[in-house]
Amino acid sequence: MNTKNTLTAERRRKNILSVVLAAICIIYVLPVLTVVINSFKQNTYVKIETFALPTAESSAGFQNFITGMTFGNYPFWKSVAYSALITIVSTVLILLCTSMAAWYIARVNSKFCKIVYYLCVFSMVVPFQMVMYTLSKTADTLKLNTPWTIPIVYLGFGAGLAIFMFVGFVKSIPLEIEEAASIDGCGPIRTFFSVVFPMLRPTMISVGILEIMWVWNDYLLPYLVLDINEYRTIPIHIQYLKGSYGTVDLGATMALILLSIIPVIIFYLSCQKYIIKGVAAGAVKG
Amino acid sequence: MAEVNLKHVVKIYPHSGKKKKSEHRTGNLKVTDQGVVAVEDFNLDIKDREFIVLVGPSGCGKSTTLRMVAGLEEISEGEILIDGKVVNDVAPKDRDIAMVFQSYALYPHMTVRDNIAFPLKLKKVPKDEIDRKVNEAAEILGITEYLDRKPKALSGGQRQRVAIGRAIVREPKVLLMDEPLSNLDAKLRNQMRAEIIKLRQRIDTTFMYVTHDQTEAMTLGDRIVIMKDGVVQQIGTPQEVFDDPANLFVAGFIGVPQMNFFDAKLVKEENGYIVSLGGVTIPVDEAKSKKLAENGVESKDITLGVRPEHIALMGEGKEMLHGTVEVGEMMGSSVHLHVTSLGQDVIIIAQTIDFKGTHMESFHTGQEIAYTFGGNVMHIFDKETGNSLTR
Repeated sequence: MNTKNTLTAERRRKNILSVVLAAICIIYVLPVLTVVINSFKQNTYVKIETFALPTAESSAGFQNFITGMTFGNYPFWKSVAYSALITIVSTVLILLCTSMAAWYIARVNSKFCKIVYYLCVFSMVVPFQMVMYTLSKTADTLKLNTPWTIPIVYLGFGAGLAIFMFVGFVKSIPLEIEEAASIDGCGPIRTFFSVVFPMLRPTMISVGILEIMWVWNDYLLPYLVLDINEYRTIPIHIQYLKGSYGTVDLGATMALILLSIIPVIIFYLSCQKYIIKGVAAGAVKG
Repeated sequence: MAEVNLKHVVKIYPHSGKKKKSEHRTGNLKVTDQGVVAVEDFNLDIKDREFIVLVGPSGCGKSTTLRMVAGLEEISEGEILIDGKVVNDVAPKDRDIAMVFQSYALYPHMTVRDNIAFPLKLKKVPKDEIDRKVNEAAEILGITEYLDRKPKALSGGQRQRVAIGRAIVREPKVLLMDEPLSNLDAKLRNQMRAEIIKLRQRIDTTFMYVTHDQTEAMTLGDRIVIMKDGVVQQIGTPQEVFDDPANLFVAGFIGVPQMNFFDAKLVKEENGYIVSLGGVTIPVDEAKSKKLAENGVESKDITLGVRPEHIALMGEGKEMLHGTVEVGEMMGSSVHLHVTSLGQDVIIIAQTIDFKGTHMESFHTGQEIAYTFGGNVMHIFDKETGNSLTR
């Protein structure tokens, strides 16, 4: 009897928990859902029926997408190209440089390495807003204000988290593997690229995804650093979807936001399992 | 294949914190103002194609010595020569050595084939020759069918074979093995031990093998180097170190079950020496008496060592030692008796069956027994230094 009561109570508790978690999920998904719904509605209806599904009357079909992409005198494809360029170059640069740095930090037991490591970890807790003005000035002075050079700024900002994650993983790789490589005929560079680098794949993917999402969606840094008349990333382009009297075409804005998040969502979903692997890597001895 | 010479090799790990000024021993290792001495004045000449085993308990410096030969540890003092050339400052890849690690150290992202071929690829060996050598090594080690698998899909024994394959495929001058069988279970360890003996007959190279298992050392080595606390205790063939241990440590370390030690008195007489133990006198055999005389040994207190297999159980008699059986460990062909005698635990190996097939006497706890041993199986050690007096 007692067991039956316990089981019923347990089931009830689970049901309540499911409802609560479902509600939390909806709260999280709601903004994205709002964007999806409204990207297919006419501008007027976006304002008055924000959370309603598109009807025959309110639907704009794909018109918002066409409007968004052809709005103003700055071609949307250019924004996509700049965003892609900055994201790809920054991510590759971060992955390559920080994985090498992390390997060195993890393997060379010196005070210098410890200081560098703690500086990197410390950089994660410094908010961007605290340094953004001095940074944009420095970036201007050092000519880091173009889509080809801004990845260096991203490298600086992304290094903290990436090094933190890579160091954790490298420490879990048995040193004997690298010693075996050095006996087999590898120098340090060959050891890194032939042996260590391939083993870093799970962490590489998770760091890569985090960096891609950050750089692709970043608004403030390119806005402050880049010459926005010449170079616009997608978030900046969206911010400029304004009419002559400051009116904002919300339907078109939503459509472009949807377009911009689609690649990241696809990328994230396809690599999702590696994120967990990468984050958990090094936590336990395998 | 090559000769390897270690001349006055020393390894000191510098202090990490405050410098310790005075010279002393912490734990068991010597500490100087330079740091902790992990290996002290190591001298060894390894002949071409010789199989040398470094054996000793954990922390005795055997792996450190091997790693110094491999180039994975810097040498603090002394010289290491491979094939007549000093290699102190030569990178591991340029020493023409190969090493098998305890943890296998296979490259997890490569297949077995790629793992074995890796050192050859780095040497830029032509592809068809790589294929031939990889297949040959795989055949020797019986891993041909696993060549396209990744290491994670292999068992411990198979992984160790791959690691050995990667080492032998290069035809190194010296093959270093750092406790290669320690991660395997007992059955597989015995099997792999036999495989290493066979492998040794098939490939022409000099072996340096590290283990803490004295059985492995005895069965594999042409010569054994026994180490303790960074110091070489004895170098010799398995038979030599078994028959004539240099000190109490070697005597206790080599041989299973361990040698029995007794506090006894050595008495010098006109025509030789006798040992007095528990009221019984046993004459020392002629060869040992001669050695004792050569060493100028006078009557003194000694530590007497006798191996359990050299003790004979007999009936009552005047010149017999007596004891009570505490535990009998049945091993099949023999029983290991733990006997309380002369106020200590004495181990005696008693056969359960004789050469005619007759079953011998059985033993039970509490049984009173008498035993003795001959003067030729006694090992006589100095009570203070622990060194053998008959060497």
